[in-house]
Amino acid sequence: MGEIRPEPIEQIRQRYKGEWLLIKVTSHDESGLPKEGILLFHSPDREAVYEAVDDAFKRGENELLACFAGPLAPEGWEVVLSVLGAV
Amino acid sequence: MFWVRFDPTRPDVRFWVRLLGPRGIVWCEMVLDTGSSRTVLDERLLARAGYDLIAAPKATVATANSRVEAKIVTVRQISALGISADDFPVLAMPLSQPLGVDGLLGLDFLRRRNLFCNLEKGILLTLPFSRGFLQRLAIFAQIFPAL
Repeated sequence: MGEIRPEPIEQIRQRYKGEWLLIKVTSHDESGLPKEGILLFHSPDREAVYEAVDDAFKRGENELLACFAGPLAPEGWEVVLSVLGAV
Repeated sequence: MFWVRFDPTRPDVRFWVRLLGPRGIVWCEMVLDTGSSRTVLDERLLARAGYDLIAAPKATVATANSRVEAKIVTVRQISALGISADDFPVLAMPLSQPLGVDGLLGLDFLRRRNLFCNLEKGILLTLPFSRGFLQRLAIFAQIFPAL
């Protein structure tokens, strides 16, 4: 079986638009931000990707990236996020 | 000085955030939210990163239109935008499925540095606080060409 080669994070995001991704980070840019990685898992379901984080750590991975390859909210939605205070 | 570009045409400003957890490093995406007094992370991500949510203290959180329960989790280290904070308390809450980010970067994190943002060009930079006149002058000399 051939070795899976790392690819730019942005390239992976373009390929799986609208899905949650779990990526093993393999290199960083000059600012220390993730630059390249290997896709470990993808799903439209956020929870499934978070579960995959669990599995990846169990397998011994130590630097992972979890993100959504899409907009903050679906088209037609508006978003109000702020947490105004906590006690 | 730390600077980063973002897409100014998007309706949100989001950045990579590095979380150091008991099980390793998790990078996630969070929205810059200067209207949020506290930093928020999805509780499921924190749990998978190895944080204990069951023992974490509870908090009542006021949002723009409601009141919700959250847990307060102290993360070992959180880093973003050239800012790094150790033993930093965040609010752990479930973020709804249509929301495509893992959390909100709130003022409690952002106020650790000066923040300059050009929303038209999509440039954000952060700088340490300055005390002396010459230091401020040096900072301004960096800001203007960058923005």
